[in-house]
Amino acid sequence: MRFSSLSIICLGGMSLALAGCGQPPEPVFAPSAKATVLVPAAQRLVSESLVENFGTPNKLVAWQQFPINYGAAEPTASDAGRHDEGWRLREGRKLYMVHCLHCHGVAGDGAGPTSRFLNPRPRDYRQGVFKFKSTAGGMKPSTADLHRTLVEGIPGTYMPSFVLLGQEQIGLLADYVKWLSIRGEFEEKLAGGMGKAGATSEELRKSYKDKRESDKSISYEAVENEILDDIRKELPETLTERAQDLTDDWLAGENPENATFPTAKRVRPDAASIARGRELFLSKDVKCSDCHGPAGRGDGPMTEQFIKITDSDRSYDTPGFRDFWGQPIVPRNLTRGVYRFGRRPIDLYRKVKNGIHGTPMPAISNRVTEEQIWDVVNFVMSLPFGGKESASPGEADGEGGEAKVAEAAGS
Amino acid sequence: MNRFWCLFFVASAVLAVVFFYIGPACGWWFPGVAASPLGQQIDDLFYLILAITGVTFIGVHAVLGYILWKFSGKEGKRSDFQHGSHTLEVVWSIVPAGVLLFIALYQMDVWAAFRMKSRFDQEALANPIAEVTARQFEWRIRYPAPGKVLQDTPQPDDLYTVNDLHAPAGKPVVIKLRSEDVLHSFFLPHLRVKQDAVPGLVIPVWFEANEPKAYDLVCAELCGWGHYKMRGQLTAQPQADFDAYMKKLKETQFDDGFKEAADE
Repeated sequence: MRFSSLSIICLGGMSLALAGCGQPPEPVFAPSAKATVLVPAAQRLVSESLVENFGTPNKLVAWQQFPINYGAAEPTASDAGRHDEGWRLREGRKLYMVHCLHCHGVAGDGAGPTSRFLNPRPRDYRQGVFKFKSTAGGMKPSTADLHRTLVEGIPGTYMPSFVLLGQEQIGLLADYVKWLSIRGEFEEKLAGGMGKAGATSEELRKSYKDKRESDKSISYEAVENEILDDIRKELPETLTERAQDLTDDWLAGENPENATFPTAKRVRPDAASIARGRELFLSKDVKCSDCHGPAGRGDGPMTEQFIKITDSDRSYDTPGFRDFWGQPIVPRNLTRGVYRFGRRPIDLYRKVKNGIHGTPMPAISNRVTEEQIWDVVNFVMSLPFGGKESASPGEADGEGGEAKVAEAAGS
Repeated sequence: MNRFWCLFFVASAVLAVVFFYIGPACGWWFPGVAASPLGQQIDDLFYLILAITGVTFIGVHAVLGYILWKFSGKEGKRSDFQHGSHTLEVVWSIVPAGVLLFIALYQMDVWAAFRMKSRFDQEALANPIAEVTARQFEWRIRYPAPGKVLQDTPQPDDLYTVNDLHAPAGKPVVIKLRSEDVLHSFFLPHLRVKQDAVPGLVIPVWFEANEPKAYDLVCAELCGWGHYKMRGQLTAQPQADFDAYMKKLKETQFDDGFKEAADE
């Protein structure tokens, strides 16, 4: 009796242990919200085109059209993982699964399992919108920009620095993120186009109702088929066009000529420059203080406004800005000295000059001169120090170096 | 079954002897050679305690085995009852207490060298190389500008890096440790340095790397879901290389991007 009860406990324990060892579920690229509102037949079209051109997480397809280094086969490489075409994409995915997936999600949708604990939320790459880049306006970032974000992390957010992974692995990750973003944007545009062509369940019901009024005999299926036939007929052309657009966009981002650089040296950050910068900051032309507040604390009057929802005539229920992804966003408190895109003068220059894509931060007026932009930057960089002194290498100015040490040591 | 427990305890004593003999040669469980002078002293303490506990373990098991062998039950003999031995109890209380007291006093010097500010290298303490701020889940590092002294609050010419701490090798250096959010622990395993980072406190920590090379820096306090990825690196380098590194860092951080445009 004793033996049998013992063996039952053992068997029970073993079966429990074995049940825990099953294969994890197959990873999938979750469909975008733009695709899930389509009628099932159109959804199938979208997912079939995606699987054909981009594959599934376990069986990636490297679409050669795009400007991504997928990794040419290296049959003589000592690492067997490099023997086949597209090894860089596969290695990038492996690293992404380890380091990025838990926040950014399998499809790069910013909906990984840990994402819901985070504020700000992890980036959803699928719209191809990036905030931290050297290029102006809505242009894509360069690979070097993605690289930099991975190396530096984003201070003030949960994005950590991956500098210790080393150049090569960071390069693999940057390319995989680029590929995910292209895949996501391709899906969004494709599904969005079909939605505009009337293939969403809602639109279809509407057109069915309209058609019924003139022709009582028409069936729901006939209306659906008519729309889908049009979409199917144009599909090959649409796919090529979308892919071409994305290729052009990313190539433009990569073009060194499109990276923003100042045409004038940084103005010496002395008290006069800071004072000029402050004046611009508060001025009616440049209007920084409308959002960032007169003291740069991110509490300007605009933060109390009700913002209109994009593509709608309604406003959000609560005041305050929203970013491109619909998340609440506040103007940066510039007195804290935490700079998400980096603290180099060039980083701040780019933010002031280009604005921040995907956020309400606009590019500065083009009536403002280069020197004036530097004045604003110098003022912003002085805010963490009470507006008295701007962040600078100091001694290069050749004066006050010693005095500053004494003063700082005394404080 | 009669002799089973007897053999069991003797066997553990024998096994312990075997493992103590072959363990260090095979590199099992032992921490390897410390990469700092203080680390060596900490290791010496570790081996001292290991020797004390090892001898005690083997002795206790040998005696247990012997007693079980000698006094194991015999057919037809009833055991007799004894209340205990006062002398024996006093002996086995006093002896371990004495050993503990010895360890407590013996380690005080190493502890003081690691923790007491008055025992720190005073020059290093007056010129901390950096402020290391732990946050979920990275190490943010703030250096004073070359030639300046680290201040408690950020200065306009401070230099910043993340996860990548550089320090001169071969001399004691001090960092100031802080935490931005929760408890973390600054752990340099090869240097045997471990110090909790406590929100609201600025804790000076000193270490000295013998050789110029890269050492692991990890978080040794479960600080949240990303604890495992809170990895950093300490790069110890000769003073000249360290100065060059700081100079380069300064150039990079105050880059206004203008020269690059002129090159094109």
